[in-house]
Amino acid sequence: MMTRRARVDSMKPSTPGPTRTAPPRMPDNFPGRGNYLGYITFGLCGFVLYAVGFLMLRTIWALGSGEREWDRLIEGFQNPVYILFHVFCVISLTWFALRFFGLFPKTQPPNIGRFKRPPDIFFLVALNGGFLAVSLLVIAVLSGVLL
Amino acid sequence: MNEINKKTVKVTRFDPDQDEEPRTEAYEIPVQDDWKVLDALNYIKDEVDPSLSHRWSCRMAVCGSCGMQVNGEPKLTCKTALSDYEDTVEVAPLANFPIIRDLVVELEGFMEKMKTAKPWIMSAKERAAEEGPTSQSPEELAAFKQFSMCINCMLCYSACPVVGNEPDFLGPAALALGHRYNQDTRDEGSSERNEIFRDEGGVFACSYANECSQVCPKNVDPSAAIQQAKLLNVIDWAKSFVVPRGGK
Amino acid sequence: MKFLMLKLEPIIWQLFGGGMMLGAFLYPAYLLVIGFTAPLGITPIEGLSYERVLGLASSIPGSVLIAATISLPLWAAAHHVRHIFIDFGGLERDGFVGLVCYGSAAVGSALAIIAVLRLHF
Repeated sequence: MMTRRARVDSMKPSTPGPTRTAPPRMPDNFPGRGNYLGYITFGLCGFVLYAVGFLMLRTIWALGSGEREWDRLIEGFQNPVYILFHVFCVISLTWFALRFFGLFPKTQPPNIGRFKRPPDIFFLVALNGGFLAVSLLVIAVLSGVLL
Repeated sequence: MNEINKKTVKVTRFDPDQDEEPRTEAYEIPVQDDWKVLDALNYIKDEVDPSLSHRWSCRMAVCGSCGMQVNGEPKLTCKTALSDYEDTVEVAPLANFPIIRDLVVELEGFMEKMKTAKPWIMSAKERAAEEGPTSQSPEELAAFKQFSMCINCMLCYSACPVVGNEPDFLGPAALALGHRYNQDTRDEGSSERNEIFRDEGGVFACSYANECSQVCPKNVDPSAAIQQAKLLNVIDWAKSFVVPRGGK
Repeated sequence: MKFLMLKLEPIIWQLFGGGMMLGAFLYPAYLLVIGFTAPLGITPIEGLSYERVLGLASSIPGSVLIAATISLPLWAAAHHVRHIFIDFGGLERDGFVGLVCYGSAAVGSALAIIAVLRLHF
């Protein structure tokens, strides 16, 4: 059951005790067990954010390089590999967003100066509802329905 | 009547004088269905192998001594029913801590971290008796009461992936308790504490795995405390450019 | 380097928080249209015509939003990836991983601002 070692100086006192100690171990089954898995997957979404951020940078760069460059890029997005990649990103980042919204309310202190913290349900409705509204708005704008 | 059946308890053993590495020993013992995991360990020590070392005291989940890994999860063994497990239960010392002997871990590092967070009321000057007691409204108390319920059982340290990888990290309990005093209206030491919290191993080392809050037997929710402390710390940090130190 | 990173931590954390918000709110829908529904013709591809997108993107609010939507999530990404490295041991303590992560986010942010400015000139 015991898993790999933690750093050998983890939780070590500044002056060693009188007896020899065995080195500390990492939490059991890290990162496979329930909660750790969600946390690590959430962290791994950082790589997806990197990819999407730089992809969007490339998209805007193409837009600044003229019509031909832009059209070539948009056409390129029809490549099945790109489509699969985008679908993967949509799914992982939607999950990322929902986990983030779920963990968000308790990060807010009961009061900041004179401002009182609204109840959890406010955050959950505002974040999830806002996510839905903003998503519909973005879809409407990018598909030419709005603006 | 309590039914008697048998269970195998696998216990981590480590004798610093003899063992190079911790090893596991299995004990098949008769158990009663109302036993906690701690009862099984005490039975082993009393009836099977008196050399087994483990810490415990109150048996009622307030002293915080009997924290161990039970089937890989940090638990207070006095609060964990043996009947929740199958025929085999594995008991190991808390993860992320140096092991002194068997199930006993080194606490001194934890004590040092606790002190670093300055979990006590700091006030600029002593209050004269004539001034009477300081008052605090129930609302003001509610802002931190939850974070003051910690029993220092260290289960959160054992669950935290950062503790095992960042030796300087002050850890869930210490930061939550420091935050508890930052939130206390009687305290005047928040800027001093916030500077410690901003330093290496402070609140920003936390990556919000949230596992500390999952395993906490007292529902302290240290991860909430730390995330709140991050936000308040950033505000305090921004203020330090506007208002000179000492200004409230 | 490590000292500098510690001093900057409150700023990095704010960039990270902002990036999480922007990425979580905007990326899924953006990716859905640009990478799935538009290429497959489910939503009209004309929505992504050069003139239209350039018009939207080169407006002041559009430019600001785009620059923020590219750069801030890069900081969130950097922070997440750095913590993943910490969780899997050791590599972090010399500050090298932090340098690479935040460095790439900083370069990406600078490029995002340049990319947006290119739309105007």
